[in-house]
Amino acid sequence: MKTFQTVLLAAIALAAPLICAAADHTTKPPDTPTYLLTNDDGVLHNYAGFYLAGGTQGAPTLIFQKAVATIAQGIGGGFFGSPRLTLLPDPSAQCVYVSNAGSGFGNISSINIQTQQHVGNFSASSNDIGTSNGIGLAMNKNYLYAGYTLSNTIATFAVGSGCQLSFLGDITVTPLNGGWIAGMALNGNMLVVTYIDGSIQSFNTTNGIPISNNDEQDATGFTAAFFPDSVDITQDGHFAIFGDAAVPTTVEVSDLSKGKLAPTVQYTIGVGTNAVGPGFNSATVRLSPDESLIYIGNSQSAFVSAAFFNKTTGKVTPGCVSQPLSGFYNSWSYIGALATRDTTGTGGVLYAAEFPGSIAIISVTSNGTTCTLAESPASPVADDFTSGLLSIQTFPPRPF
Amino acid sequence: MNDLPSMQKIRELRMTMMLKSILVLSICGVVVTGASAQQICPPRPMPGSLVVNPLDLYSQNGTLTVNVTLQNQFGSDGFMHYCYVYLYQGQQVEAPTLRLNPGDQLVLNLTDNIQAPYYKFPKKSQMHMHIPGKPGAKPNDDCNGGMLMGGSTNMHFHGLNVPPVCHQDDVIYTLIQSGDPPFQYNFQVPANDNPGMYWYHPHAHGNTTTQVDGGAAGAIFIEGTIPGTQGLPERVMVIRQQFKNPNSWLPGPNQLTVNYQPAIFPNASSPYINMTYGQPEFWRLVNASTQAFLSLQIFYGDTQQQFEVLALDGVPLQSPIYETEIDLPPAGRAEFIIPGLPSGQQGVFLTNGFNTGPVGNPNNPQQLIKIFGTDDAKKLAHSAPPPAKPPADRQRFAGLAAQQPTTTRQLYFSEQTVGSNGPTQYFITVQGQKPHVFHMDDPPAIVTNTGSVEDWNVENRSGEAHAFHIHQLHFLVEAINGVPVPNPDLQDTITIPNWSGNGPYPSVTLRMDFRDPNIAGTFVFHCHILDHEDAGMMAKIQVNLAN
Repeated sequence: MKTFQTVLLAAIALAAPLICAAADHTTKPPDTPTYLLTNDDGVLHNYAGFYLAGGTQGAPTLIFQKAVATIAQGIGGGFFGSPRLTLLPDPSAQCVYVSNAGSGFGNISSINIQTQQHVGNFSASSNDIGTSNGIGLAMNKNYLYAGYTLSNTIATFAVGSGCQLSFLGDITVTPLNGGWIAGMALNGNMLVVTYIDGSIQSFNTTNGIPISNNDEQDATGFTAAFFPDSVDITQDGHFAIFGDAAVPTTVEVSDLSKGKLAPTVQYTIGVGTNAVGPGFNSATVRLSPDESLIYIGNSQSAFVSAAFFNKTTGKVTPGCVSQPLSGFYNSWSYIGALATRDTTGTGGVLYAAEFPGSIAIISVTSNGTTCTLAESPASPVADDFTSGLLSIQTFPPRPF
Repeated sequence: MNDLPSMQKIRELRMTMMLKSILVLSICGVVVTGASAQQICPPRPMPGSLVVNPLDLYSQNGTLTVNVTLQNQFGSDGFMHYCYVYLYQGQQVEAPTLRLNPGDQLVLNLTDNIQAPYYKFPKKSQMHMHIPGKPGAKPNDDCNGGMLMGGSTNMHFHGLNVPPVCHQDDVIYTLIQSGDPPFQYNFQVPANDNPGMYWYHPHAHGNTTTQVDGGAAGAIFIEGTIPGTQGLPERVMVIRQQFKNPNSWLPGPNQLTVNYQPAIFPNASSPYINMTYGQPEFWRLVNASTQAFLSLQIFYGDTQQQFEVLALDGVPLQSPIYETEIDLPPAGRAEFIIPGLPSGQQGVFLTNGFNTGPVGNPNNPQQLIKIFGTDDAKKLAHSAPPPAKPPADRQRFAGLAAQQPTTTRQLYFSEQTVGSNGPTQYFITVQGQKPHVFHMDDPPAIVTNTGSVEDWNVENRSGEAHAFHIHQLHFLVEAINGVPVPNPDLQDTITIPNWSGNGPYPSVTLRMDFRDPNIAGTFVFHCHILDHEDAGMMAKIQVNLAN
């Protein structure tokens, strides 16, 4: 009897891990959790935030996990269109880079995504200053580019192993109408930037340091006083999409197929039939992973909008708009960057940075001709470590 | 350092910061009390007080000489006061009313005694606060511009049609620094100027909001007979606005005041007046706020009353307008008769709130004055306007409506909010030119000649209302949103509502009168929401002397 019991216990002991493993397989989170990452832009102490993005599409959740000190200072806000954190558009990305515009030196921090540990701080030159409205970032596997809003410079860093950066040099940009650099997006070797004065420009980064494609121009919306602020680029690099600071929701699309910016086509979709109004200002844009939708942050109002995008033709048509997001004007006042939870399809769940200190969670549905944007009852989630949240990203990232 | 701080540590940190803040505020409170005791600025009336007219200063023998000093001080109310101090019978009096006849000379000696602490430059205007110096001009010459400092100021005589030159009504090159010798303004009121209400205020680009917000503004009257007002008690009201922090990026706590008395009902009793039952009164009101759009109404009991509007922006109307509501943009003036208060009743005078658009600043309803009645007219202490000289010549701008415009122009307001921390870019643009945040050394956006008459169509392409104002002249309001105005009147400031994002831009069509050679020179037009003006919603016009 005792022997039988011993054998039974031994069998159970041997089997337990397998049983538990089998049980775990159905309940444990995926091997790669999905994180929402923030650049908190704290003025006294800056942090990069890690939030666990989970739940279902109908009931998404966002749970604070960790704030990693960057050992540097932010400035508590700035241009809507400046992306203050970046990572490789690859699920194998190891590092997220965060800018600290309030620090003269060490103003780019790298953080290991897996360990959620600060790795190091890296400086460009003393010419590169972003204390006015932030430091935008964009990267590919070889280089990281930092756009400094006060000095109007773009610094180039070589990306090394172990989340290291090496400063290579900087260039000065000259917006056509006296503005400053704001939005940045990189696809392959094509770097597209916006200046907040209505002008835009692209650069070739094949050799690291950006070289102008000699296409600096006023966007089409400039004549209507609509100024591009943020920019995104399609996965195939065919189109650049600009989010305009404009009264009605307006995006502009430029054909990049000739290696430079073609004159933009303006889509003012906040007016007329099927308008996505009533959102004001459309300074931030983000393509869905499948590029069927352009998400738009209506920066000066309580709305996020979506427009349908034809990635073959570049044509934009009105989509849908959320109900007013909760807390507008009382607890937050501007919408910043947008990010999607899923890496395929529409992204499933849309996150919106709410300045100064919360994150909205919005469920997305789309059948290709109609769509909905519904704020989750769990939204917004407060970010207690920020004094000026504008920039967010997700990991694993969208594949471009 | 790179680990997550514990919530306990965060709470401790926040508590420490809060205690430090309280300590700083406590120290400031002592400073405020101490400073208040020095009476740098005259004390202002407490809420719930009787509203009295500002002190009147009359010209004598064709000249009005006034010595005023602009000073500043944190008041015990927590607001920064900027006060035009005038010494009257040994007492400091704030912002007296200047009363002149057409053709009179105004000699105003302004001493700049602004001292730190003052509000720092608005973040919005840091990029363009430099005032250019004239080539070849002497250094330390107040007519030579210079660098705008926290204590820099000058004065604009709003609505007066006087030359845009230094020592008269120039705001481009005139910059007075704190501690400078008294700066003399010395000009003649045009003999053919219209009788009515004007006002004076600082206009140093970059400091205008701060100083006007602090109360630096006063009324001017060009005397003359406005039909229907003879014998009526006259009340002068200067509506100001004070912000706790006028330079904050988002509008913070603010109050309207009536002749410096806070109108904050129901948080405190309203300012009040006593009217003789049954006696109509002549009210003359300037909206000297930095950004409040007023929508004025008056009620006796529950019954809304009708205003008999006689003049706008200092110019008598062609015929009285009977309205139950008067909308006044910042800088606008209205002169009107209110009906007598029925015996036994009380009344209220209020602003009913104004929608400036989705991205505009709130303009909430606010009771301004409580009206009580009395049978004893002796309790009232209104100053009656003195007899006025008849106009020496035909009125300024006469026959403007019948003129053929020599030029038409298209202008538009727009703005760009591209980030959370500013600067919002505010533009007023001549169609065909690039939107551009104004800088003091910009070339003129418009060049024209004296003798010309132009029609300007001014659009609003932004999501908030703006208030168009041009120096040195009045304009005829010909059309609103393209619809002709049946009986156009002259104004110097006009509201253009926000654009909804759909349909045509709201617009006004204004006939500009450059016929008077006295206004030759370079001057400005801008939005009179003063933080918009300070932030660059301004442009220059150069009027060359013909031939």
